Amino acid sequence: MKIQELIQNLGLKPLSRFEDRDISGVFISDMMSDAMANAKSGNLWITVQTHKSIIPAANLVDVAAVIITSGKTVPQDTVELADRHAIALLSTDQPTFDLIGKLYGLGIATS
Amino acid sequence: MKIEAIRDSLKASVLAREDLLGAEVEDIYASDLMSDVLAFGLPNSLLLTGLASQQSLISAHMAEFKAVVLLRGKRAKDGAERFATEHSMVLMSTRLDMYDACVRIHALRDGNGVQPKELGTTQAVDNILLQQKFQIEGNDFSKAGYVSTEVKSMLKKIGVDPVLIRSVAISCYEAEMNVFMHALRAKVDLTVTPRLIEVMLTDEGKGIPDVEQAMQEGFTTATDDQRALGFGSGLGLPNIKRNTDELQVTSEVGKGTTLVMRFFLQRPGS
Amino acid sequence: MTQCQHAWKMTNAQYGFTVFERCSHCHGVRTYYAAQDTWDEYREGGCTWSIVENAQTLRFDLECEKCQQQVDFKDLMGLMYCTSCMEDCEVECAQKALAPQKTWILAAFGFLPHAPETEISAARLEILTDYFNQRRDTSRSRVKILPFSLIKQVSLCHGELIHDIGMLSPEPFPERKPLF
Repeated sequence: MKIQELIQNLGLKPLSRFEDRDISGVFISDMMSDAMANAKSGNLWITVQTHKSIIPAANLVDVAAVIITSGKTVPQDTVELADRHAIALLSTDQPTFDLIGKLYGLGIATS
Repeated sequence: MKIEAIRDSLKASVLAREDLLGAEVEDIYASDLMSDVLAFGLPNSLLLTGLASQQSLISAHMAEFKAVVLLRGKRAKDGAERFATEHSMVLMSTRLDMYDACVRIHALRDGNGVQPKELGTTQAVDNILLQQKFQIEGNDFSKAGYVSTEVKSMLKKIGVDPVLIRSVAISCYEAEMNVFMHALRAKVDLTVTPRLIEVMLTDEGKGIPDVEQAMQEGFTTATDDQRALGFGSGLGLPNIKRNTDELQVTSEVGKGTTLVMRFFLQRPGS
Repeated sequence: MTQCQHAWKMTNAQYGFTVFERCSHCHGVRTYYAAQDTWDEYREGGCTWSIVENAQTLRFDLECEKCQQQVDFKDLMGLMYCTSCMEDCEVECAQKALAPQKTWILAAFGFLPHAPETEISAARLEILTDYFNQRRDTSRSRVKILPFSLIKQVSLCHGELIHDIGMLSPEPFPERKPLF
């Protein structure tokens, strides 16, 4: 599935400019250290972290998109950094656990 | 959702408060950020987190969570286990990551909503689910605890709430010990219906002259030998009473005593 | 003998904390790895060290799946992303020079205060760079990891250290303060 399709399916709100690409698998964590160790290229990263350092972390391991859950307000500098790296930064009001149920329903599995 | 069911679906190992596995959690909160747990976590939830620190436990406790699951096989240090133990939270660890853990709990929740309800609605109220008879020979301490252990494993097999099983097991054990100390032998009948668990124990023994007195805390007729084994701080009847929903004691001196212990799976009238 | 075309994987991964502590007298900063978060203040000579932060971290080694060579990275405190804050900083110059090749620059930090003397060698940073690029879809972009000694002035650098601070705090972190 591509990022645009995912946005349509889940009603996500895109916050940054990004290049559409294929999503392969889901990675969930609120920790950069976890992402550095375990996220994979093309993953969808789901987190409640909004601080701008998520973008360098996401970029380092080449995740396709970051979804900020629980309706958190994302600071402008985080959005700007996502723009610069062309990483899709998306948001949803749903909490992480609920969103996973929907993703599972869409057949997006962990890689 | 029962914590035990979540434990099974996550194949988690229990690090603290195994005794609380029978408790229900009302929501799942998945986060590594403790400020979020405090801000958004609902009481009686289960926390899924990759943050292996005592702080996770403290935050969960503040937010009135009932259980914490550490992901990716992470282990918290002793302090966390102690904290969980002291504050009545189940602490578990699973090898799964957050995604897999969430998915399995979703699957469990979707599938689970149906099963327990069926038990109550589709079965006739007095349909007998399980019936078993046991014999206890008095004065054979090597077999002490045999019946309560059997009862415990049978109830576990049919999926009775572990907290309730514990109450049944404690009551059975106390009653069984009374037989070893005071009676020649006894018959035990275990009956389980969708509504209740009933254990009836009928012994052939000297009987209890004053049942009311025997129900008082601290009353004992145990011999010194028996006390040395750690029994006989009382007849165990007060402890049985605490653990049962209904207790009937009838006794005839010189003949024996009958205990009927009932544990409700569904509250009468509900 | 042909040289091994290494295929790196992370091994011996241990989750723990980078403890940041500061002395109220000399204003020195020290960092170290600890398996458990610590909050105790202590004295040492004329210094009183108090904990500023426990950042969740990961320490690891890399191992080649082909030749089993192992490279230790236990002295790596973290990676810092260059935010282009000082024009004449060598890290920023490298960032600018490599931008057309879609290469992102990161600076590797060791633990303080020993990091400057015992810098992570260029050869090891090359391996770390290879490891992350092997995990990435390099048709899109690459990363390059440089030593932090190239930063012109660490105290003025606004680079973004990739680590997990504020995880244990009961209050949300409104604004992250630089730790050094």
